[in-house]
Amino acid sequence: MTVTRLDQGQRYRPRMAFLKKIEALMMEMQSPDTGIKTQTQTVMVASIPHAVTGNDILQWILQRLQITSEEALHLGDLFVKYGYIYPLQEPKNLTLKADGSLYRFQTPYFWPVQGWAADDTDYAIYLAKKNIKRKGILEEYEKEHYNMLNQKINYKWDFVIMQAKEQYKAGKERKKEDRYALDCQERAYWLVNRTPPGMQDVLEYGVDRVTDPNENKKNTMEAYRREIMYYQQAIGKTRVKSSVSLGGLVKYSEQFLSNDPILSGCLPSNPWITDDPEFWDLNAKLVEVPTRMRVERWAFNFSELIRDPKGRQNFQLFLKKEFSGENLSFWEACEDLKYGDQSKVKEKAEEIYKLFLAPGARRWINIDGTTMGITVKGLKHPHRYVLDAAQTHIYMLMKKDSYGRYLKSPIYKEMLAKAVVPQETVKKSTGLFGRRHLRSSPSPIILRQQEEEAKAREAATTVDITQVMSKLDRRNQPQPPK
Amino acid sequence: MVKEECKALLDALNKVTACYRHMVLTIGGTSDSQNLREELKKTRQKAQELAVANRNKLTTVLKDKTVSKEDKAEFERLWVIFSTCLEILEIDMRRALELGHEFPLNVPKKHLIQTGMSGGTSGVAARAMSVQNMKYEAERNIDVMDLKDLENEINQVGEMMYEMEMKVNVPQWTVEAKQDPGAELKSTISVGASSIGMISVEENKSFCDISKVLAGIVFSAVLIIAIVLAVCVVKLS
Repeated sequence: MTVTRLDQGQRYRPRMAFLKKIEALMMEMQSPDTGIKTQTQTVMVASIPHAVTGNDILQWILQRLQITSEEALHLGDLFVKYGYIYPLQEPKNLTLKADGSLYRFQTPYFWPVQGWAADDTDYAIYLAKKNIKRKGILEEYEKEHYNMLNQKINYKWDFVIMQAKEQYKAGKERKKEDRYALDCQERAYWLVNRTPPGMQDVLEYGVDRVTDPNENKKNTMEAYRREIMYYQQAIGKTRVKSSVSLGGLVKYSEQFLSNDPILSGCLPSNPWITDDPEFWDLNAKLVEVPTRMRVERWAFNFSELIRDPKGRQNFQLFLKKEFSGENLSFWEACEDLKYGDQSKVKEKAEEIYKLFLAPGARRWINIDGTTMGITVKGLKHPHRYVLDAAQTHIYMLMKKDSYGRYLKSPIYKEMLAKAVVPQETVKKSTGLFGRRHLRSSPSPIILRQQEEEAKAREAATTVDITQVMSKLDRRNQPQPPK
Repeated sequence: MVKEECKALLDALNKVTACYRHMVLTIGGTSDSQNLREELKKTRQKAQELAVANRNKLTTVLKDKTVSKEDKAEFERLWVIFSTCLEILEIDMRRALELGHEFPLNVPKKHLIQTGMSGGTSGVAARAMSVQNMKYEAERNIDVMDLKDLENEINQVGEMMYEMEMKVNVPQWTVEAKQDPGAELKSTISVGASSIGMISVEENKSFCDISKVLAGIVFSAVLIIAIVLAVCVVKLS
């Protein structure tokens, strides 16, 4: 059988509740008293009943639903786009025109259904029938589909041709006018379900669902038991009051409004608009002189300071003065461990231990006994997150202790004073052959190398209190006799 | 011999499926009537009989070990055609059930959709049942009563397909179609004079033709006048 029948991959079309609502309206439109008045359409010598003008449809919707005429026009347009009504004079133009252009109702078999998508086999049969009727004249995109389907469902092709011939012959048993109407219906259906290139595919619905919305739930004990368990867990979840979370959101928005380049504009200018990359140059990761906005942002909260590399650099200067530089270095080393190569995890963890955590280490960090115990135990089997507890401890220490002092320190104030406020650039008019000199930014590889060199230099020149103390100790100790 | 029988049965099933599809298309439209529902029922039952006959024949052949390789390939091809046909039939039956529930015929509040159809489907049904004229003998509310039978029959067909899947091991994708793309164009179906569809749908084409013809006429008229004038000038000078 075709694969669709054995599909246990749990891909179901989502529920499209609006389809049933449109169907109800469609049925109301048919009422001889309250529905829409129909006319006959004359095609060549034949006359086919049940044609409706666009204006009539619009008026009926307005009167029935009591909405504004814009909405009614939009709604009517959707009816046409989803294939419930199809236009007669311009078949490919699936829009509702509020004038005398004629439309007709689609037969219920061809209404879009949530459970079924239009089948490839049916489309192949339709194209084959069209081939027979029009003696091979298909549209370009139809020809492409035809060839593609021939390859895709080649094993069914004999059936497709047989069925197309039979359906064509069966169609001949009906009246001429009915045959014409049937052709129009089928064409409209496939215009909606296999849209030609350039037309909007309204039946596209995004991602498939994991559960089948059509499935009838079995009322077994097991099902109820699972439901009860689910709801009990759901009640037990901790929730934040919406007033609290919304308040937090408002506060965040107010604080960061001035920093948002889209909402408040950016100085010197938005590079995407003026083609001037100065904004990016001024805000480079480790630029010499940062902008004022950036430096002010470090005062908002500690995480803003920590996530900005320039901020970390400045903070490190401050910490060195306070002799707690190893805290930030340790934090950075832990981040490197967490986000670095899996293959280097073990050696990095060991290095960090030797450098920061071991008793008598060169840059020993001050963490409490329990955390040290957990960390040392974890280091026996190192993984990425083995130093999480220690890192959090140090983070909180920096945040509660050093951060406050940093903001009042002369280092920060100096940085704030030095910070530059860029001028707003006037949009330069391009010459006739507007060729702009494109400056390319430095390659990320080079940037990373520079960072590593800077780190190595810093590690080599760092003088820590323990080293100093140990040097002093050694100086004070009596020289061993030669 | 067996091959011809199988083919004939399959052709019959194909024909009935096509007619059934045609009839299901008209449910809910203005051509719908009690007669249509009765036609649907009869066609469906005929389809089921044919399906069972097909299945029996094909399974006996496919289980037969003494069949040659080319014959086996041919029968597998027929089997694939048969199973696809049955799938289409099942889908149409399900649609018929849904539409039957939605459009009961004797309820005054529920109106049929005005689809532009005015004729009946008796010709199609007669073709399906291979009779000259259809006789209608069912009760007045067959549209509602038939739905239960329809449900049962859908279940039956579903079971049959499942059984077929389990018992006969024919990998579908190994079957190669005998007909090339575009084979339907070489068929001897007369397209000709019937459809007004062709005339009006090809509006654009006909306009182009008319304008081309007009241009040709005008051009030739101008040419003739020019020749006549030239002859007059020559004669007079």
